[in-house]
Order: sequence, then C-alpha cells, then structure tokens
Amino acid sequence: MEGHQRNLYLYERFNAQVVGVSRDDVTTLKYWAKSLDISFPLLSNVTGFLGNYFYVKPEPGTENYPIFGRRTVIIDKKGIIRYVRDGSPDFKDILLFLKKLNQEGGKP
Amino acid sequence: MRKGLRMLVCFASVVMMLSACATTESTQKPYKISQQGTVIWNDEFEFKLPPPGWKLVQVESGGEFGFGFLRTDPGQFPSQSMFVYDEEPFGCSTKFEDREEEFFKRYLWASTLSISMEILEKHNVPVLGGEGLAVVAEGKDPIKKEKVKSKVVFGKRGDRVVAFYLTQWRHIDGTYDPSAFEIFDKFVASFKFLKKSFYETL
Repeated sequence: MEGHQRNLYLYERFNAQVVGVSRDDVTTLKYWAKSLDISFPLLSNVTGFLGNYFYVKPEPGTENYPIFGRRTVIIDKKGIIRYVRDGSPDFKDILLFLKKLNQEGGKP
Repeated sequence: MRKGLRMLVCFASVVMMLSACATTESTQKPYKISQQGTVIWNDEFEFKLPPPGWKLVQVESGGEFGFGFLRTDPGQFPSQSMFVYDEEPFGCSTKFEDREEEFFKRYLWASTLSISMEILEKHNVPVLGGEGLAVVAEGKDPIKKEKVKSKVVFGKRGDRVVAFYLTQWRHIDGTYDPSAFEIFDKFVASFKFLKKSFYETL
C-alpha cells in the first residue's frame, strides 16, 4: 500500500485512481490507513463478495481466514478488466501499463 | 474528480506487513570497477567501496531492492554494522521532515517492539547534489540487552525521496565504533546517479 501511496502523483498523471479493498472492518482500516499514512480510498468488504467478483483466490494456508489473497486489477474507463496480477504488486509494471493505457485512451 | 481509469487493489493486510524486510546475500556481482577505482553498480550508481572487511548484501525493503555492506564487529552478540542504499525507504512523503516521521514509525520495526528509538541529532546535509536530511538515532532493548545506533540520510532522486542508512548493533554494555559512521559518510558522499530513475523517465 505504501508503494501505491508513493505513486499517487504518477497515477494522477495517467488519469488513474487507486482503490484498496480489504475484508477488514472500517474501524480497523481507518487505523491501518493512519498508521501507514495512506490517503487513497480503502473499501471494507467484510462479506468478501468483491473477492468472488474478481475471482480472488485465498493465498495458500489462508483458506479458512476472512482475508483476500493479493490481486491487482486495472479496469479501463469502459469497465473492462485490462490487467490482473496476483501476489505482490509490481509497481513498475503497473505504471508502464497505466501509461500505455492512458496513451491509448486519451484523457477522459 | 472524474478519473478515466479505475484500478482496484485487493490485498491481505497481514500478508502485506509480513512481506517487508527480507535480507538475502548476493550471489552475483552486479557491479564493475571503474578506472578511477569507484564501483559502477548496474550502470546506474557510482560510489566508493568501503575498505576490506565489509561484505556485500542486497536488501529487500519496501518491495524494492537496495544494496549495502555488512561488517561483523568484535565483541558480544549482536556486534555488527550494516549500511544500505534504499530507493524506496519507508514512508511516502516527498518532504524530508514528514518522510523522517513516517520512516521512523516502521524503521527496525521487528526490533522496535521492545526498542524505543530516540532521535539524537537532526540536521540538513548536502547529498546527491542537493540538500538532504541526516538523522542520528539510538534505541536500547533492556530485555534482550541490545542497543542500536543508526544514521539515516535522506536525499532526492527526481521527485522521490531515497535514503542511506547505517545501523550498528551492540550488546547493551558495548561501545559504538565511530569508524563505521565515517566509512558510511564517505560512501554517501561518493554516491552518484549515472542515469535517470525509472520514475523520472515516465
């Protein structure tokens, strides 16, 4: 999450908005965001339906716990999923993809 | 504010927190020696090598790889000194004062459960061709009977903050060795960027 926070000025340059989704409750996320100085939106999805929506599989060993596996998804302005990556985010790959997507689509 | 692209990041916070700070020793040599005797690292950085006795390490920090040098010091465990260059030091701010606060929230986080870091010195310094911030801090763990003294130098690479930091661990009754700090200062003073960072080229 810190990596995304550091890259906010670049996401803005590429007309992108980052949103984090977690199964933690709102209170926990507020404290967590404060502790990491996160300023972008974090969504609390306690029931986990967004995980099903984006086909997020639990990481091995966490199947019985209410936590999402890590997945990065980039959705374009038409609502089409253009990028999916599991595990730790590859920030340079994400930035290059967003740059390309922004060049393709132009500014909204 | 209307944005064209929407990006959603799914994450497990616990896993995220556990993913930081793995340390591994390098098995390859990603550097060469210049005619002037300096080190050219991945054709990107140039710096002076520390004297013999310092072992090369590569450090994963904040999802990025930095590198540095480790020296085992004489005396009781955990006597050692290590300094690194980190492209992505803890925190997010581009202002040094804010970044320093963010950084020290998480710096040595595995150890600071029982160590409270105290800032001993803080002053502006010239670094990387511009102005930076140097901070000296110390922490003591009376339960493990360990202490650590650290110097952190924040500088800029383009718009982003980078950092050099030295940690020197000692037994609680041990004495710090200032020579490691002098070697660290020389390393920092010699450090140059040979090309623009990835972020500057976007």
